[in-house]
Amino acid sequence: MAADILRVEKLSKSFSGRLVIDNLSFRVAEGELSAIIGPNGAGKTTLFNLITGYHVPDSGKIIFNGQNIAGLQPFKTVRLGLARAFQRTNIFPKMTVLENVVSACITRQERNLNFRTPYKKLTQIHQRAYEILDSVGLTAMAQRLSGTLAHGNQKLLDIAVALALEPRLLLLDEPTAGMSPDERWQTVALVKDLWERLKVTMVFIEHDMDIVFGISQKIRVLCYGNLLAEGTPKEISNNLKVIEVYLGEKPMMDEAC
Amino acid sequence: MLNIKLNPETNIYEPETKTRHRVATALLIVVFFILPFVLAHLGRTGVYWIWVTTEIIIMSLFAMSLNLILGFGGMVSFGHAAFFGVGAYTVALLMKKAAAPLLLALAAAPLMAAVAAVIIGWFCVRLTGLYFSILTLAFSQLLYMVAFQWYTFTGGDDGLHGVPRPDFLSPTNFYLFCLVIFLICVWLMRMLVNSSFGLTIRTIRENMDRAKFIGVNVRFYQWLNFIIAGAFAGLAGGLFAQLNRFAQTEFLHWSRSAEPILASLVGGMYSLMGPTVGSAFLMCLRIVLQQAHKGLVEYWAIILGLILLVMVLFAPGGLIGLVQKIIKKKNG
Repeated sequence: MAADILRVEKLSKSFSGRLVIDNLSFRVAEGELSAIIGPNGAGKTTLFNLITGYHVPDSGKIIFNGQNIAGLQPFKTVRLGLARAFQRTNIFPKMTVLENVVSACITRQERNLNFRTPYKKLTQIHQRAYEILDSVGLTAMAQRLSGTLAHGNQKLLDIAVALALEPRLLLLDEPTAGMSPDERWQTVALVKDLWERLKVTMVFIEHDMDIVFGISQKIRVLCYGNLLAEGTPKEISNNLKVIEVYLGEKPMMDEAC
Repeated sequence: MLNIKLNPETNIYEPETKTRHRVATALLIVVFFILPFVLAHLGRTGVYWIWVTTEIIIMSLFAMSLNLILGFGGMVSFGHAAFFGVGAYTVALLMKKAAAPLLLALAAAPLMAAVAAVIIGWFCVRLTGLYFSILTLAFSQLLYMVAFQWYTFTGGDDGLHGVPRPDFLSPTNFYLFCLVIFLICVWLMRMLVNSSFGLTIRTIRENMDRAKFIGVNVRFYQWLNFIIAGAFAGLAGGLFAQLNRFAQTEFLHWSRSAEPILASLVGGMYSLMGPTVGSAFLMCLRIVLQQAHKGLVEYWAIILGLILLVMVLFAPGGLIGLVQKIIKKKNG
């Protein structure tokens, strides 16, 4: 058994009196590729926001790599080896695709306080940025303004920026949201390929059950901020509770649980 | 592993246009160095124009300093005059009351402004957007009131007059002195903007939340940028006090903070030299209008408003952006 890279312990968070994450506990093993599913409003994105420090939890612990990171600011969690890609594309639109990745590389190497060398002359960093762009297939668009890319490519760039941070744990919030069915499977294949090659632990949120059951080693089902079930795709598909709440007859996710 | 050979520079510019760019810049600099000697031959109007161009140089530096946070950092400060004023008062006080030499006073100006920016910035970067702007305004008005009330130290609303000027600084020499300082500052700011630090600042402008998620300590970098911008503004203020040979509360007034914002908008916020073009344009326009017809100055606010309206609606990239667009079209 690999060691746990992430342990969430009794995590709770409420917004204006509404409990969004309710005494949630689970563990993520190092090297795992796992999915989080659940209806809208189950608290999936909030969970990511808590783990990465965007929100401060009301109570509970988030142990990343042996250290409690609950309430640590995002830039600090990033430095510890956590990165995320976003549900809504979240890039630097008026910078080129290359600059998007370069800026992440610069931060990864903590060279932001270099006031003298033009960043365009940091050849090593550019080489690294090109490698990353190549790994998501965006090399040809390196010099384009990232805001002008098609939606699918912007999502890929978002992932590339996260990869540039060389994370130990990568959180992907609906990496295929808003993509066409073809694009979806390409992206999923890419994510799986990256996971295999980079040996990075990945947790992704996804609404498409075919994808979730197709690639994840482990699935966690979130409902009302609580863990409804956890297990391999086979265990989940046989789990009566899960079937009852929404896998059952309607494969639609947005039903209340 | 991939091994892509690349020359990062050729990715961005065509080498040919870069050489052309350099030659044009060098020529322009030479023209500005010769200018006062030509003007000096024109008698009294010549001296007046030397004074005007010196003022343009100083105000351009002030506008460029603001643009470090405004255009490159995306922080709209309504209180940048605070640092301009601190610089001006530093020079006036040191030279008048402590008989300090010019260079020492001018070195102290950006330092004192930076100290003010350290304190003011520490509070301001905790806020974003309009709240940030309003707090900068509040701090600068606070300094304005202090200068206004502290009669024994700052001379209150009379200001500090009769700042001594070293003998060798004839109008022409002072012009050249300011030009050299200006060019050094441009060189420094250019380095800053093109550096990793500059790119980091741009990521914050583009998307503050995402910047946090690539590991940027947003507040710290905004603070640092605020301090640097404040220091340059302080230097501009110091030179301005020496140009006018006085410092007065008006240097700290909020209307003074508006000038570099307008200059940046008109000239172009997203380029280094935009604010310089903007201030030169606005200041020259005002003088030309004034000389064409005295009455026109009364309509200055309307004229300025119209220019801004046109700029914001049709040329968000300012004059520099407009020129770039035209060149692009010409080249197909």
